[in-house]
Amino acid sequence: MDELLADFVAETREMLEASAGEIVAWEANPADGARLDSIFRFVHTVKGNCGFFDFPRLAKLSHAAEDALADCRSGTREPDSALVSAVLAVIDRIVAMVDAIEAGEDFAHGGDTELIAALEPSDADDTPVGESTINELESTELPADILDTKDNLGQKASQPASVDRAKHKPETAAVQRSIRLPVDLLDRVMSGVSDMVLARNDLAHRLRQAGTQPTIDGPFERLTAILSDVRDAITRMRMQRIETLFSAFPRLVRDLSNDLGKQVMIDIQGGDVELDREMIEMIRDPLTHIIRNSIDHGIEKPSDRLGLGKREIGFLSIAARQSGNMISVVVSDDGRGLAEERIADKALAVGLITESERADMTSDGILQLIFKPGFSTAETVSNVSGRGVGLDVVRQNLERVGGAISVKSSAGIGTQFTLQIPLTLSIIAGLTVETSGQRFAIPQSYIEEIIHSSSKALDFTRVGETALVTFRGNRVPCLLLSDALGLKRSEIAEDQSTMVLLRLASGDLFAMGVDAIHSHGDIVVKPLAPAVMKCGIYAGSTLLDDGQPVLLLDVTSIAADNNIVSDFSSHVLQIEDEHTQTEAAAVSRAMLFVDFNGHPTAIRLELVQRIETITTNAVDLSGTHPRAVVDGVILPLVGLSEEPLQSDKLHLLRLSDGASQLLYAVREVEEAVELSGALMPASDEPLVEAVTLVGNKPVSLIDGHELFARFGVVPEIVNKPLCRLPEGEWARTILTPLVKSAGYDIVSSPDTAEDLAIWFEDEFEAAAALDTEFLTPVVRLRDAPEAVAGSPTIYRYDRDGLLEALRQVRRAGASA
Amino acid sequence: MINSLLVMALIAGRRCAFLAPDVESVIEVGNITPIPRAPDHIAGLTAMRSQALTVLDCRTAIGFDADEFPLDHRAIVACHLGDTYALRVDAIEDICSAVSEPGTVPGGFGQQWSRVSSGLVETRVGPALLLDLEALIGGQAAIGAAA
Repeated sequence: MDELLADFVAETREMLEASAGEIVAWEANPADGARLDSIFRFVHTVKGNCGFFDFPRLAKLSHAAEDALADCRSGTREPDSALVSAVLAVIDRIVAMVDAIEAGEDFAHGGDTELIAALEPSDADDTPVGESTINELESTELPADILDTKDNLGQKASQPASVDRAKHKPETAAVQRSIRLPVDLLDRVMSGVSDMVLARNDLAHRLRQAGTQPTIDGPFERLTAILSDVRDAITRMRMQRIETLFSAFPRLVRDLSNDLGKQVMIDIQGGDVELDREMIEMIRDPLTHIIRNSIDHGIEKPSDRLGLGKREIGFLSIAARQSGNMISVVVSDDGRGLAEERIADKALAVGLITESERADMTSDGILQLIFKPGFSTAETVSNVSGRGVGLDVVRQNLERVGGAISVKSSAGIGTQFTLQIPLTLSIIAGLTVETSGQRFAIPQSYIEEIIHSSSKALDFTRVGETALVTFRGNRVPCLLLSDALGLKRSEIAEDQSTMVLLRLASGDLFAMGVDAIHSHGDIVVKPLAPAVMKCGIYAGSTLLDDGQPVLLLDVTSIAADNNIVSDFSSHVLQIEDEHTQTEAAAVSRAMLFVDFNGHPTAIRLELVQRIETITTNAVDLSGTHPRAVVDGVILPLVGLSEEPLQSDKLHLLRLSDGASQLLYAVREVEEAVELSGALMPASDEPLVEAVTLVGNKPVSLIDGHELFARFGVVPEIVNKPLCRLPEGEWARTILTPLVKSAGYDIVSSPDTAEDLAIWFEDEFEAAAALDTEFLTPVVRLRDAPEAVAGSPTIYRYDRDGLLEALRQVRRAGASA
Repeated sequence: MINSLLVMALIAGRRCAFLAPDVESVIEVGNITPIPRAPDHIAGLTAMRSQALTVLDCRTAIGFDADEFPLDHRAIVACHLGDTYALRVDAIEDICSAVSEPGTVPGGFGQQWSRVSSGLVETRVGPALLLDLEALIGGQAAIGAAA
């Protein structure tokens, strides 16, 4: 909450700074409509923002000012100097209140009523001003006069608070530890750093060609390390997860729907999309406005919804996706949609369009009217969404940063707003894929899953010309990247392609077949020349580490080109379908696999967290129960047979009941199936819940309850044991990787206590001769292959012996 | 205009000139990453230091078949509206200074050339067509539409 509050304060200040010039200009010329609009937006946004904080006085003041200004905008009132002064006074009071909010103190009571009264048209000026709260010094003056001295007003009308403020000012200044920088400066620094990284890669390449040069390699390594630090810092400096913005919405939706007597469920996706801080600030208002409008005007009251055959609870979805150098945020609701007729009527009434213009307008054109300044459809002005100022602010804000907003609506089905926000220069996570011998990058944010060609689950089929794959039981359209790009088909058979499942911002899922997956990592997206952008399939380019340029695919356009995007109305219906489907089907899905004894077995899909493949040396069979290390976590391992492990690799299902986890070793993972057959309880085997038929074959269904009751543990992070190595180049370059791969961390500082020390035999003898105490186990290495009798040493290139010794020490440490 | 420096190049067998201030540098072209489905005259992307350049074949851009002419292993680097291009030509010659104002000849230079040229300049190696970068790079939409 504190953070939200700080945001509110900062935002209000920022807006005020921005509109300070406007205020002055408006004062000089009250008839200036553009100035009026921008001041109107300011008070409107303040009003909106304090609606969801508990600041009734702020809300009241800004609402009053908004009312007065709205009258001017609609032309029912002529702005005069008294009004200007009154509005300015209100703005000053808002500032003073915001200061008080930031300092965390109460703002002196009183004074508001006068300010609000001053906003009334001048003929109302004679009405008694204020009841009793007016301050003694000004009690005889007319409000308009008080307000004239706008610079002093804050102090005059609220003496106690201003005294407090004076006391608190220096403190706040001391607390402030951030500075504001222009964004282009950050841009320049960031693009400089990205260029530096590429220049470094180039240099590294040349150094490798020139062979080892110790005098250069050292400093070069240092440069590399520094550069990667700087790059991290710069990236973090600009980027923020959009989550920081989204996190406020559930609360906002809850409060609004309560206020309005509606029930709304909110679904938020893509919170991990990273966006420029600046951009996040830029879309904060727009999104808030859209959500407010959607709940206020879009979603019907529960009783109305039931009458229309809809679910009682309205559905509001907010999804963010990254597409190359654009981020799209889609806000859709399943409310009544936008009423075109009423929009058109309203636009006529306020004079935005003429009768003849209206006759020529397409329905889309009519929808676009809602982005015009001074437009509103709400019959009554509610406290929540206001008078249609919202959307023109939204569009203005977005267009200023080169973005766009569009709206689609179907009567009775819903409304969908799409905001496109540019990422002019950005680092995004991307996946490099290869097709027909050429590499391309795909933004990670689209990727739902990657399925390798070997997987049987894929079930690639052609229906007519369309290719389909099966993903989690659904048929998903499939597009071969080589076809989409018009490249020559590669040698790989089409059903052997690796499938990258991509989810679009609209929620549509499709598979893209590629020949191979290369790497994923952060990529610096640079814009492409206009002629290339015009192809409509690329979003930018990036350079690989070897300096080779790679094109970043524009997934949305490719999907649209191939008609994979469903149209809007079916999408909203789909969302509902998905919900009902998951409710009905939640109990009956299971993962089918072959266990170590060769039996077909199934386990409920909800328990399966991930499929892991580990090397057998991560398995520890020494204890009473087998254990294995996955991602630095030791977990119990179930499902191994008595026989020793035959291959180097082990497939595991990582199971979780939410809190505890365990690993289940399997011989082969097959596919996810629906448990449609009857479940026959099996009582003789404790770990089997039931036997069922899957495709006419009997399958044992594992009893998750029993399994976790017996074996589940809450994972603990492995503390790697520490090993101290002897000095010297050999130890550093040859021994270190080996010891690390055996699961040790290397200690270098003399103060840290190690769990194990490795010594060269000659040094060990020298130390022993000096009566050095060896507190920890010691592994001694000898130079000669032949062992000296009676001395427990290991030849320095005896890999197996060394690993065995390391393992023994580790096991002893673990049991100790 | 007289005495301004020109970078001379052969394009589709004809002598052409670029204004030297428009030319950032001349580079050796390394690997070119092709761009599937891009217009024909865009040969791909290539890296110069840490920058990706759009490689544009001037012969195709003007409307000739690039395969009929030799290809210089170097390219002229020029910047247009914030994007940097590597221009491929038959051969990059010398730098000369103009000895005349650009002028036209009666009858023009042929439709293809007239579109990308602002006129003829005299140099000490003879007359050359002075190419207009804007038209060469930016005017591609016209060709694409016509084709």
